[in-house]
Amino acid sequence: MKIYFHLNIEGFSNCYVIVNELTSEAIIVDPGIITPQIIENIEKGGFTLAGVLVTHNHGSHVHGLQTLRKIYTPQIFAADWEVAGNETYVLKDEGIIQIAGLTVGYMSVPGHTPDSMVYKIGNVLFTGDVISAGKIGSSNNKFSEQALIKNINEKILSQQEETILMPGHGPPTTVAAEKMFNLAINPKETGIREKLGLI
Amino acid sequence: MFAQNNCIEPGCPKSALSTFNNDKEITEMPGYCLEHSKNPEKTKQEIFDYINSHEKIVGLNAGGIVFENIDLTNKKFYGCNFMHCHFINIHSTGLRSRMSMFDFAIFSDCNLLQSNMQFTSFAGSTFSHTLFTGSDMIQNNFSGIQSYQSSFDDSDLYNSRFVRAKLIDTSFRNCNVKKTVFHVIEQQNVLFKYSNTREAIFDDDQSELFIGELSNKIGYVLEPQD
Repeated sequence: MKIYFHLNIEGFSNCYVIVNELTSEAIIVDPGIITPQIIENIEKGGFTLAGVLVTHNHGSHVHGLQTLRKIYTPQIFAADWEVAGNETYVLKDEGIIQIAGLTVGYMSVPGHTPDSMVYKIGNVLFTGDVISAGKIGSSNNKFSEQALIKNINEKILSQQEETILMPGHGPPTTVAAEKMFNLAINPKETGIREKLGLI
Repeated sequence: MFAQNNCIEPGCPKSALSTFNNDKEITEMPGYCLEHSKNPEKTKQEIFDYINSHEKIVGLNAGGIVFENIDLTNKKFYGCNFMHCHFINIHSTGLRSRMSMFDFAIFSDCNLLQSNMQFTSFAGSTFSHTLFTGSDMIQNNFSGIQSYQSSFDDSDLYNSRFVRAKLIDTSFRNCNVKKTVFHVIEQQNVLFKYSNTREAIFDDDQSELFIGELSNKIGYVLEPQD
């Protein structure tokens, strides 16, 4: 298995191409935009696009789907039917699917959006906007934020510490790093004013 | 990239070190981490030999190994795992990295000049007397780093994150820090001269350091921007 990273300059979102050399198949996570580099990535390697994994139905993560469906006929997995209408394999709760010869775990982690889905392939989690380096996803209200933090603690930070997190925005990180440094997960730790005894 | 296996020692959560076939190429066979390796010296030597003999290194797992006095000039690391490694007295120019993980590593007396490291994580790492001068460090994760007497001068740090970083005697002169996040950092004698700090993201706590009571308390002085 290899993972290729593509930055969507328009939405500053991350798109990932995961290839399985043994079956010559590929998966795309969050096709925010389809660039010639992504097509080249698939075509030059001689891969068949077997599936698309959508972490949530926001433009910067799905805009490229329209282009992709004109070129390929992948299975599209998402928690929101509206991502691709009847072509969407709608996922709920948690489970395991087989795509491109790879075992893909999925888990619903609502809070940023109701349809937020995190995928696990090997020791890598594709977290979309649920969590990124040092931050968690934005939410509409305090209740959603609390639900998001609870879900992250229970479903993501309970993974092994060396599990790698590939977020929808920003650089990669690990479970161990987020447990220690994420501002929302560990808010009482540090704080310069507290350290200096000013509050 | 990231075809990584966990250590096959029952109950061990760590990633296994890379294993090699007879042609000395990386395999995806299961193996042990450094701690549980049956012959750690042999495994380390295989990893050193692989790095020495290859310019482009893909999917290497070297977690926990000590690298000392090695020249990494023009080496290209893609999807490699160097978590908890110790880099001592490494000198290089033109080191390249994509999607590699250096989390909780320690860099001591390293000159990694003109490196090109993108989408790479250094979360929780310690930099002591380490120079990244003139590097492209775009969209990297520096959250929780501790940096002592180190330099990122003349570097492009676009969209990188320094959340909860501890920066002591560290300079960011003439850097591109557009969209770079400096939330809840701790700093002493940090220089941002000629850097576009107005494009960087400092949180409320941090902003007070520039002008308020805190700056006097920790002796921080902001260099003039123009």
